[in-house]
Amino acid sequence: MSTAELIQLRDSARQVLGEAGLAASESKTWPLVLELGWLLVAVPEELGGLGQGLAGACAFHEEFGRSLAAAPYLPAMLAIDAACAAGKADWVERFATRDFVTAPLADPALTLSDGKLGGTASAVPSADLAGHVLLCADDCVALVSLKQAGVEWRERPTWDATRRLFDLRLSGVELDPGLVLARGEAARALARRLAAQRDFALAADAVGGAAALLDSTVEYLRTRRQFGRPLALFQALKHRCADLKAQVAGAEALLAETLSRAGDDLASPAAERAGQAAKLQACAVYARVAEEALQLHGGIGMTAEHLCHLYLKRALLNEHLGRGGNRYDLDLAEALMAVP
Amino acid sequence: MTHTTTTGGNPEALRAEVRAWLQQNVPPGWRAAQTGTGQDMFVRSQRDWFTKLVKAGYATPHWSAEWPGGGRSLAEQKVIYEEVARADAPRLILFFVALYHAACTVMEWGSEAQKRQHLPGILEGRVWCQGFSEPNAGSDLASVRTRAERRGDVYVINGQKTWSTLAQFADRCLLLVRTDGSGAPQAGLTYLLLDMKTKGVTVRPIAQITGDDEFSEIFFDDVEVPLSDRVGEEGQGWAVAQSTLASERGLTLVELTQRMRYSLPRIAAIMRERGVADDPALRRELGRLIPKVDAACALADRYLLKRIEGTEAAGDASIVKLAYARTLREFTLLGQRIAGLQGQYREDFIRGGGMETGNWPFDFMNSYNWSIAGGSDEIQRNIIAERLLGMPREPKNWVLA
Ligand SMILES: Cc1cc2nc3c(=O)[nH]c(=O)nc-3n(C[C@H](O)[C@H](O)[C@H](O)COP(=O)(O)OP(=O)(O)OC[C@H]3O[C@@H](n4cnc5c(N)ncnc54)[C@H](O)[C@@H]3O)c2cc1C
Repeated sequence: MSTAELIQLRDSARQVLGEAGLAASESKTWPLVLELGWLLVAVPEELGGLGQGLAGACAFHEEFGRSLAAAPYLPAMLAIDAACAAGKADWVERFATRDFVTAPLADPALTLSDGKLGGTASAVPSADLAGHVLLCADDCVALVSLKQAGVEWRERPTWDATRRLFDLRLSGVELDPGLVLARGEAARALARRLAAQRDFALAADAVGGAAALLDSTVEYLRTRRQFGRPLALFQALKHRCADLKAQVAGAEALLAETLSRAGDDLASPAAERAGQAAKLQACAVYARVAEEALQLHGGIGMTAEHLCHLYLKRALLNEHLGRGGNRYDLDLAEALMAVP
Repeated sequence: MTHTTTTGGNPEALRAEVRAWLQQNVPPGWRAAQTGTGQDMFVRSQRDWFTKLVKAGYATPHWSAEWPGGGRSLAEQKVIYEEVARADAPRLILFFVALYHAACTVMEWGSEAQKRQHLPGILEGRVWCQGFSEPNAGSDLASVRTRAERRGDVYVINGQKTWSTLAQFADRCLLLVRTDGSGAPQAGLTYLLLDMKTKGVTVRPIAQITGDDEFSEIFFDDVEVPLSDRVGEEGQGWAVAQSTLASERGLTLVELTQRMRYSLPRIAAIMRERGVADDPALRRELGRLIPKVDAACALADRYLLKRIEGTEAAGDASIVKLAYARTLREFTLLGQRIAGLQGQYREDFIRGGGMETGNWPFDFMNSYNWSIAGGSDEIQRNIIAERLLGMPREPKNWVLA
């Protein structure tokens, strides 16, 4: 993987998403994603992709976070990775160019008995546009058609207006053997691989959002004048911005470091912990930046037309996606405590 | 740069070599041996460890290639620091100012005669201290007042320095003095290499809150310093001092952040010891600390890589230092909280044991070293805001509103 190539890709993503405008709608951004082949970034070259791996994917997630783009890029990337990992070469091209497959951004509560799937999956983005959903249950990873009998879905409007989330309810859903990606130990490994990627992707989204919001907050303080001087002259505000800058830089550095620590074996315990650390830190920093940004904008920050709340709501949602906001710290502590 | 060792400049080959050497040479049980001892024992053990490192060539990787152990690339220096942290070797604090501040300043600004006079002495174990701060010149270093008056071929020094780390053991001092009070404050400073045994120099150790006395006041009463002990020109002291302050180039924070990471199990250990290993609230705090420590490591690491590539920006160093200082504070606070009432009973501390010795209130108090010395957290925040975020600088003149 060449860094120069990756930087070029990232820059072009930044440009395209920048032109689309902040918080551009799904109907505007999703066709761009398909047309520009952005879903192929992490796909190995032998399967027709760009071979940029998870680091490449995260460069894009960061740009989606920065621009608050609404396209369901994250779940689509998970489904494509699952197809690659399961060696379903013919699906990769389909999923990356035409057929949108979604996936839950939170851990689902599903059980598999007698080959039938039941339970719920929440935080499934843009399910109304997807043909299938990627689900992990017990020791099976499979695609399930959203049109199949026993699958119900309903939209759950969230505060975060840049994502459209759905709840799925499954009862007695027959698994199509042709759509099963892995079973047994292979399925457990694939599920770990997907969870790690989800953590890294959410971390990258958070890092991009936090950096962009801090930049625009500093810019606001430099131009807004009160007491006959720019607000940016007040040390109380400078120091808060400096603290946020140090935290954002830390989350960025940690994301890069954990990505290289995780390496290629994303199902390993090391990758799992690396992803958890990156996710916890980046989402906590993002939430903190968003909390401060609103305060530092004053009244204008409370208006619907201003960008502050869009970042704030995405930041708040991000904290609760993945394994859930209250698990990461406990899991990291558990891993450390487990070493005698 | 040329390389003097068998590893031919390959950092990973060097890593294996250093790791093996440390395994053989770190004094076993040094932590226990340095607990509750007096400063004389500390000085002796620092000397022993220094001598070993110098012999192996690991004390001077940043020196130029003509010196034993010198000529190492920044990448190799980083490897040595990482391995020292990994091996939990003693920190070489008694010789730090000599090896970095003094050596780099003399190498960059010193005359040939000064290099010949001072550099071999450093390798032989001469101790140096830094005499910059004064009672009225702390964060605002340019306001130094200690006077140096030129009389013939000597400067006559009168005034006072303070907070000078380990000055009570020092042979020489990097001394920043005022030779001219008329122009801009920075322009009237001059830099001297003072022999601490000169008549009129008095060193008084300062009792610190930890029970240690690591730093000292230095008083100057008509102290005569030969002109030949001046570094740079008269009036160039500010520029020379900037080199001194920049001399360790981020390596210390690579070492210290790594040490902090390797010390995380000490928190786990104290939780077990106090029977609170399963307390979910404490586990949550520990879990939140872990990625912060990782992030501090990643920042220090990335900063050094930027230096190697030459892409460092003004203010980057401040981010690393601020992140380290804040994380270290949280680390020691958590240890202290877990230690509970037991931690409040006074126990012997370890000299030279690093920032996370497991004597939590002691570690907590020591963590202020990093938030106050070498540019306080507030000064780092000013730099980050002004240099990296482009926020305006404080107005020069002020009147109370
Ligand atoms: C453990 C230790 C070891 C040291 N070793 C040495 C040594 O070997 N040699 C040496 O010369 N010096 C040494 N120092 C001194 C150190 O460099 C100074 O303590 C430091 O520069 C701060 O100066 P000060 O103590 O006078 O605090 P002050 O400058 O008086 O600061 C007091 C408070 O005001 C804040 N403040 C100051 N200016 C600003 C500003 N512009 N904006 C916002 N806040 C501000 C500070 O952050 C601090 O919180 C050491 C200090 C310590 C703690």
